[in-house]
Amino acid sequence: MSLKLRVRFSKVGKIRFIGHRDVARVTERAVRKVGLPVAYSQGFSPRMKLSFGLALPTGYESEAEFVELPLVADAVRDGGAAEPGARHAAGPVIVCRSGTHAPCEHGLQSAGPGYCTVAEALSEALPVGMEVSAATLVDGRGPSLQAAVHSCGWQFEIVGLDASAAAKAVADFLAAGTVVTERVHKGETVSSDIRPSVEVLQVVGCSDRGAVLNAELSATPRVVRPSELVPALAPAHEMGIARRTHQWTSGAAGRAEPAVPAVCAQKNKEPISG
Amino acid sequence: MTTLWPRLEPLLPRVSKPARYIGCEDGMQRPTVGPHLTSWLLAYPDTYEIGLPNQGLQILYELLNERPDASAERTYAPWIDLEAEMRAAGLPLFSVDTHRAAGDFDIIAFNLSAELVYTNVLNCIDLAGLDVRAARRNDDDPLIGAGGHCAYNPEPLADFVDFFVIGDGEEVVAEITEAVGAWKRTGKRPGTRATILRDLAGIEGVYVPAMYDIAYDGPALAAVTPKYPDVPALVAKRTVADLAEWPYPRRQLVPVTEVVHDRLSVEVFRGCTRGCRFCQAGMITRPVRERPAAQVREMVTSGLERSGYDEVSLMSLSTADYSGIAELVRDTVTAGGAGGNTTGGTGGADANRISVSLPSMRVDAFTVDVAAQVSRARRTGLTFAPEAGSWRLRQIINKLITEEDLYGAVRSAYSQGWHRMKLYFLTGLPSEMDPDTEAIAHLADACTRIGQEYTKRASVTVSLGGFVPKPHTPFQWFGQNPPEELARKVRLVRSALGRNRRVQLKWHDPAASTAEGIASRGDRRVGAVIEYVWRKGGTFQEWSERFDLSLWEEAMAACGLSLDWYVYRHRGEHEVLPWDHIGAGLHRDFLWHDWQDALAGHGLPDCRWTPCYDCGACTEYGIEHMVASPVAPNGGSQGTGQDLATGHLVPVELRPRQLAGAGAPSGGGA
Repeated sequence: MSLKLRVRFSKVGKIRFIGHRDVARVTERAVRKVGLPVAYSQGFSPRMKLSFGLALPTGYESEAEFVELPLVADAVRDGGAAEPGARHAAGPVIVCRSGTHAPCEHGLQSAGPGYCTVAEALSEALPVGMEVSAATLVDGRGPSLQAAVHSCGWQFEIVGLDASAAAKAVADFLAAGTVVTERVHKGETVSSDIRPSVEVLQVVGCSDRGAVLNAELSATPRVVRPSELVPALAPAHEMGIARRTHQWTSGAAGRAEPAVPAVCAQKNKEPISG
Repeated sequence: MTTLWPRLEPLLPRVSKPARYIGCEDGMQRPTVGPHLTSWLLAYPDTYEIGLPNQGLQILYELLNERPDASAERTYAPWIDLEAEMRAAGLPLFSVDTHRAAGDFDIIAFNLSAELVYTNVLNCIDLAGLDVRAARRNDDDPLIGAGGHCAYNPEPLADFVDFFVIGDGEEVVAEITEAVGAWKRTGKRPGTRATILRDLAGIEGVYVPAMYDIAYDGPALAAVTPKYPDVPALVAKRTVADLAEWPYPRRQLVPVTEVVHDRLSVEVFRGCTRGCRFCQAGMITRPVRERPAAQVREMVTSGLERSGYDEVSLMSLSTADYSGIAELVRDTVTAGGAGGNTTGGTGGADANRISVSLPSMRVDAFTVDVAAQVSRARRTGLTFAPEAGSWRLRQIINKLITEEDLYGAVRSAYSQGWHRMKLYFLTGLPSEMDPDTEAIAHLADACTRIGQEYTKRASVTVSLGGFVPKPHTPFQWFGQNPPEELARKVRLVRSALGRNRRVQLKWHDPAASTAEGIASRGDRRVGAVIEYVWRKGGTFQEWSERFDLSLWEEAMAACGLSLDWYVYRHRGEHEVLPWDHIGAGLHRDFLWHDWQDALAGHGLPDCRWTPCYDCGACTEYGIEHMVASPVAPNGGSQGTGQDLATGHLVPVELRPRQLAGAGAPSGGGA
């Protein structure tokens, strides 16, 4: 059976200003640094086969980015027998150039020096602000993340707006049947109704810059970004930092995330106000 | 030492490519500050993506941060959109490492790789909150330094820069750090700036323009005279004798956003003695100093492992001349540890191979052997530089490669799977006549016909640059072609190419060559021109969409200077040149004789492999070539018509071959 490694990572702090292509490049180098046995495309110029979830706009933060890395055929072994002397739990391990790592499942803890999970090894290889919170093995034949994700959870600031004004704006927004906004798409100004894409919108508090809101925005009929909501909510205000908190797919029992953060990989989370 | 990040961050969502300004590179140092540390801000006066890969800056960045008495950060010219935001918000120029204000540093040191960045240097000084004119800056303002190849004619920037470093920077930055550190500990008291400048002028290889009087005789320069007896009349360049002692950068910066050379770079040698008469780099960086093969291999292996790159550039002025180049490329391709990381059936066999890029390749050294080694991994772009279309003209510029050499290299490349390559030529060379120019088209056409023997897709890109004479070269006396003439020559090539669709012609803007010519051989009076262009908003003049020759013409007129005098006129043997007080090691009479030999069509062989003709670079400094092979790596006459197998009679210092068992063998270079 072909297997993929599904990786969940964050993008917070200064690193939020790199673009989607930059993230791909940085990830590719991190995979090579760890020596993960990832499959390459065929042909004259073989490239690593990475597939990401929905692209994150440059400048946005996220604690829910996903990338899937298809592994080569014999990459995953039974950890019980591998590497004499290795201190890790029984179960599958991935043989990398830099060492043998376990995929990071729920509850699995790093057991000591000389041994770490794939998530830890990748976090170490990625820039500060990109931390891997989960790395799990999934069936390689599943649908692409990009096709599977149907909505995203967001948290964003509206600079200089107080919480009560924000609450009123949200109430008006949700009460409206249609909210038509304009945006520039491929050099042309197009107007569209964003209201159907907004599943949840609420004020959750205040940062030192302004009101903080949560939203859930569906990926259909088109992907709507928080920056499109702000002009509709508070035309005189700018959006502060926006952070993606979830990417939702349909699971067996309702919605589910492609991978949830595992305990073993939590570190260095920066608060949104930092 | 406060960070400006909280003020910068809100501006970044409004500008293009915000990742230019965040730092965050793998390899970024964590510089500390303190009264006991001399703090350097290393500045590249162009955009981040152009400046970040600069090896010179990265070497000094590491060296300085390793010192207990120094710290170094980096800055790059902000693009015009961020500059506008910064000026509106009152935000000064900042470092990308800790986002400290440029004005907080003791030294702001600019890398000068090209003349057209000079207006950006002024803009950066201004953005730092300092007066652009050195004489008007305060005692405790940062000292403005500059180095790099353009510093070999420092005069156009002499009014703005406090000190220039001539030559290799590795050793001299230590001496500058100590001098500035001592001054810093005294509190940089009022009236002491002149003292530190005079101290700096006493360091070998450091030129302090304020320590010299300039005398003119009408439009001509009459004399450059030291103001004090302890200030040298000739500032001689610094040269690092043995590259093996400087395995830098050890931790090359790996950026988080795309830059122009996004790969591992390892300098395999410094200097070049091919003797191309137009080439300033080859003249000022003599002699040839090869890095030992074992050290190159170590830097490649550890660099790849650390960085995660899958491409290496083996850097030098002419990499195919490196002793044992084919073996080095062979080992580099597999340096990524192929075999340890099985690709199974899903990846190609080449998935773990390292791509090798060889910049600046001579066609007579690019053999089928080298081509075969490079092509084992993903093929990198190939550029050959015949420089001139006819053998007659190549003898004049001393680029001694024959048509057969070029066709051999091109055949090697096509036969090893390349479909296209780039050929680089100069036009506007001394004695160039129309048949020489048109020969460019004939060469390109012949190359595509060779290519068609191997592939239906064979094509060639001809890149045509207008020749700008450079200081410290035999062509420094030559009058540059005006833009109309360069444009005519471009048209000549274009019409000679006819409808050959396999040849794509690209050319450098002839107008930009004129502006480059002003700065290249200008004297101190040209400083006012640069300031004028800058004040009129003429920044990023290297960028074609920002360049405007009329601004430069207007500036020359406003300053009462003549384009003909500075750019288009031939110079005479006894004329005082603005850079005569800067020593590149080359005897002036060697350069003049080589210029006369050029006009007579006489070639000059490579002194690595033939007897010394005493240009001055070695004899003046008591140093020698350091190469591993006593003969040309690829044998033959290298186009000189001489038997270069006599190379062992040449007084070169040979590196011992690697000891058996100490890693991969270096192989027989000859």
